[in-house]
Amino acid sequence: MKGLAGRIIGVIVVLIGVVALIFVMLRIIPGDPASVLLNEHVSQANIDRLTRTMGLDRSLPEQFFGYLAGVLHGDFGRSYYIQQPVSNLIMEALPFTIKLTLLSIAFAWTFGIISGVASAMYNEHIIDYLFRGAALLGISVPVFMVALLLQYIFYFRLSIFPLTYDGSFASLILPAIALGWNSAGSIARLMRSELMEELDAPYMDTAKAKGLSYRKAVLVHALRNAALPVISLMALQLSGMLSGAVITESIFSIPGLGKLALTALQTRDMPLLQGTVLFTAFLIALGNICADLINTLLNPRLRTG
Amino acid sequence: MKKEKRQNAAADILRACLKNKAALIPGIIILIVIALSVFGPLLTHYDETSQDLLNRLMPPGNGHIFGTDELGRDVFTRVLYGTRVSLLVALLPTALAVAAGCAAGVCAAEFKGATDFIIMRLADIMLSIPGMLLAMVVLYTLGGSLTSVVISLVLIEWGGIAVVVRTATLEIRESEFVEAAVSTGAGRFRVMMRHILPNLVPTLIVLFTLNIPSSILSESGLSFLGIGIQPPDVSLGLMAGSSRQYLFQMPHLALAPAGMIMVLVLSFNFLGDALRDILDPGRRTL
Amino acid sequence: MTVKHIYMIALIAALILSGCGAGAGNTDTSAQQDAAASQTAGAQADNADSGLLRGALNADITTMDVHKTSNDYMVPMNIYDTLFTIRKKDDGSTEIVNSLAESYDLSDDGKTYHFTLRDGVVFSDGTPLTAKDVKFTFERILTLPDSAQTDYAIPIDGAQDLLDGKADSLKGITVEDDHNFSITLSEPYAGFLASLATPSASIYSEKIVTEAGDDFGVLPEKTLGTGPYIVTEWTRGSGLKFEYNPRYWGEEPSVKRVELSIMEPQAMNMAFQKGDLDILDCLLIDSAIVKSIYKTDAYKDHIVSIDRMGTNFFMMNENVEPLNNVQVRKAIQMAIDRESILQSIYDGDGQLEDGIYPTGCLVYNKENQGWLKYDPEGAKKLLTDAGYGDGFDMEICLDTSNTDAVQNTVQVIAQNLNDIGIRANIRSVDHASYLDLRNSGDMSSYLALWLLDFNDPDNIIYTFFGNKDNTKTRSNNYADDAVIARVTAAKTIVDETERNKEYAALEKKLVQDDAVWVPMFSLKHLFVISDRVAEFTPHWAGWSDFYFAQTELK
Repeated sequence: MKGLAGRIIGVIVVLIGVVALIFVMLRIIPGDPASVLLNEHVSQANIDRLTRTMGLDRSLPEQFFGYLAGVLHGDFGRSYYIQQPVSNLIMEALPFTIKLTLLSIAFAWTFGIISGVASAMYNEHIIDYLFRGAALLGISVPVFMVALLLQYIFYFRLSIFPLTYDGSFASLILPAIALGWNSAGSIARLMRSELMEELDAPYMDTAKAKGLSYRKAVLVHALRNAALPVISLMALQLSGMLSGAVITESIFSIPGLGKLALTALQTRDMPLLQGTVLFTAFLIALGNICADLINTLLNPRLRTG
Repeated sequence: MKKEKRQNAAADILRACLKNKAALIPGIIILIVIALSVFGPLLTHYDETSQDLLNRLMPPGNGHIFGTDELGRDVFTRVLYGTRVSLLVALLPTALAVAAGCAAGVCAAEFKGATDFIIMRLADIMLSIPGMLLAMVVLYTLGGSLTSVVISLVLIEWGGIAVVVRTATLEIRESEFVEAAVSTGAGRFRVMMRHILPNLVPTLIVLFTLNIPSSILSESGLSFLGIGIQPPDVSLGLMAGSSRQYLFQMPHLALAPAGMIMVLVLSFNFLGDALRDILDPGRRTL
Repeated sequence: MTVKHIYMIALIAALILSGCGAGAGNTDTSAQQDAAASQTAGAQADNADSGLLRGALNADITTMDVHKTSNDYMVPMNIYDTLFTIRKKDDGSTEIVNSLAESYDLSDDGKTYHFTLRDGVVFSDGTPLTAKDVKFTFERILTLPDSAQTDYAIPIDGAQDLLDGKADSLKGITVEDDHNFSITLSEPYAGFLASLATPSASIYSEKIVTEAGDDFGVLPEKTLGTGPYIVTEWTRGSGLKFEYNPRYWGEEPSVKRVELSIMEPQAMNMAFQKGDLDILDCLLIDSAIVKSIYKTDAYKDHIVSIDRMGTNFFMMNENVEPLNNVQVRKAIQMAIDRESILQSIYDGDGQLEDGIYPTGCLVYNKENQGWLKYDPEGAKKLLTDAGYGDGFDMEICLDTSNTDAVQNTVQVIAQNLNDIGIRANIRSVDHASYLDLRNSGDMSSYLALWLLDFNDPDNIIYTFFGNKDNTKTRSNNYADDAVIARVTAAKTIVDETERNKEYAALEKKLVQDDAVWVPMFSLKHLFVISDRVAEFTPHWAGWSDFYFAQTELK
């Protein structure tokens, strides 16, 4: 329990650090939100007027502590650009990102584990080569190329899936594959190598000698032992996925958090960017804690340690 | 005497790699790619930036092995030069990130307490911001260029490395020979330099090799978003990214840089895996 | 042995990948067959989707409130109305026609306009339009802190005081009754009616805007106008949906519903060929792709082309050494191979421009054309004479949010300059940094485009050279105060002959004598329309945004 409380304090410290970091960086970054808003029809007088309205003429510490105080009261400020409370915008975008991330995690895990197990069991067989080839493509091709190829093959050539997100479940499948393939590849490779090691372990011979079928031996014993490192890897991948979502959401026009953060950054919409980054960091921290809990549950040795 | 032993260790690693096909083959491929990018200019009589507007987007042939790009530049030549930049973007930031991560990790493990807390929370902060966003903030601040891509990749990567190095250092510190050294009254700095760092080397080598692929892929992602390496400089990621419009009508434009990215990423991955098996720095989900 | 296999797998994988690609490469014709096949599919869908028009945007809009954007006009053009609109005549010239204004007359001093509003116009929630709403609209333009459209209200008498907070209401607009009002300008301004015809001057309802508060322009159900369409859905980052406004005062259009999806250019290209898009904006796609896919027998009857009323230009900052030397700027004018850029990057779809006002603009003067020739040798000589025989370092700023074509053009310009010994470096920055740098007056040089908002020379020349503030925010820092004063004064010339003469003289002075910029070209804007579209009328100035109601479906 003490461990958990420590973790939570750590998370809070980290989240404040994230806000501070983004806050400072955004003030160094060139590009003034007032200029972006006014765009082409610009004059110095208008810029000055707008800067005052946004409160950007206040001192930095004043702005920072003002923001922190707001956040503690659940007020993340208003977006400069979209003129709505940041929390509303995040809540609007969140479901899309959650759907996309869950689906791509599902894809990565299913594909990664199945192909890892299959290639370990059918070592050096054609099945092994096919699955390993797919895994290798996933880890070596940039996400955006995978996304474009998927669009080309499954929309343009085969007309199976929609080109971009249109609200339907089917239109989330291609982005989920594009986003999850890289993780799937890593999981498959790790699963395969862990499992191969387990299959060589002496206890497998014992298991077989005891009369367990090969398949059952793999599933019951080897898989359980091989699972631990794989689960740790899966937890680490959440951050990578939220990062990859920036590109995937752009290509497939998904109105999620990644796209929101990208717009916020491009328009120097400081409240919105601070809000989205803070929220994403929170999600990642949550993911890490969950992974730790799962690890502890699965591995009794860690519980005492 | 200890120094001699370390040299022997380096030679041992090299010998083991030469014997191990899993390390040798990707190693050779990487060396070939490096050679290609260094001696590339000898293989082509085109200039990587010279334009030929009348012959833009030509298919392969007519003296252009991979055809020409949207400004009539020879794609083969550009792949050679792009590989040079991409290798630089792969090796330099990864090396810097490993150095920074190593320093941070060792310090955290050595000094414990507040130092440990601060360094590790800093690492957590970096790890909690999606890498792509963090890199974009840096790139927008500094403007797109080779230097700023290097800086942003170091920022993304050091945190993860620091975490692994810290765990490894703690493990080494608990080992008998370090405890023995401490008990003989060796100073903290001496223990660090003589005992801990040498024993971290295998971990660092593996971390270095395995982080290179992600540097290459991150660079290509940033270039796709239009904020990484900027023209007239050329990198594999930039070439692949800017060919997106032509991907299906003129696939040769994307294929050469994308193929080179694949070769590099896979080779470094396999080399890293093989090195991990050879050096066996312990299981820490590297 | 495992390693060998791993590499075989990698090889196979690469082959699969290249197989996909190579398959695509040889299939220009099969793509067309696909397209033909899907066009029949499109025809089947026609019954279910009758009245539906499907378009695409390459980036999401930021707001539906036109007072807060100078960029996103697609929605305002279709959900609001303006007092007048502009129509392109068959001979290519434009005329101003009544829209919400039924009639107007102008006082003898050229300063006071009296308007009568069209009878029976209501907003899409039933609120009737009155003259008070017009006054409210212009006051809002001036008092909104983040107003992007103050230029459109500034000519009105008392506007500056309201903007500066020295007045509570706009003195220049007098409401006589529900349908009659007059607008008094501080000085005569020949372009005023035309400026009222831009989406920037869309008329809002005081009641609707006040009740909506901050939600106006953000929530579709609260963002209502008198225009032919209502936005029914806006999914940020994904797309917009429109429906016909049954309370619209004008003729019922053929397009009843519209879906605009946000997608990347290569996706638009695929979607159009599959029959999932009705209008494709070719300027977003490389001209080589347009040529190989659409300028073919299969599609050539589906191409709609309009001359864009906008000048592409290369601006040089006179505060930057040695661009402050007029000989150097003239050398740069001669060094850029505009014809090659037009022919290669834009496949010849456009024409060279040698001045400020684009072809088709009022006061466009043929005598100021044809003088600028590509002459690298002459440029080198000019440089040598100016004392820069060894060249110099120069920076070209590039906004990375630009289309690929613009980015390619900048690379060619840099190469052209390198050819005469100027070491031109491209500095790529994102849109926000770009605007900031340009507004600060410190940007060395940049390639940009000005598309006319309304057909009047003032719209372009004033923006760049109209006052000190403008020359700074456009980073040209043009130094001749006498010329700047003349640009400002030209606004108020009412006599047409005199006006034409003065604007032509200013153009010659600025571009030919003082070499303020390198005029590049004006482009044709090509669109491809699907089989479902009978007639498509682009915006008169060739914008990407268009009026849905002017499109006829089959």
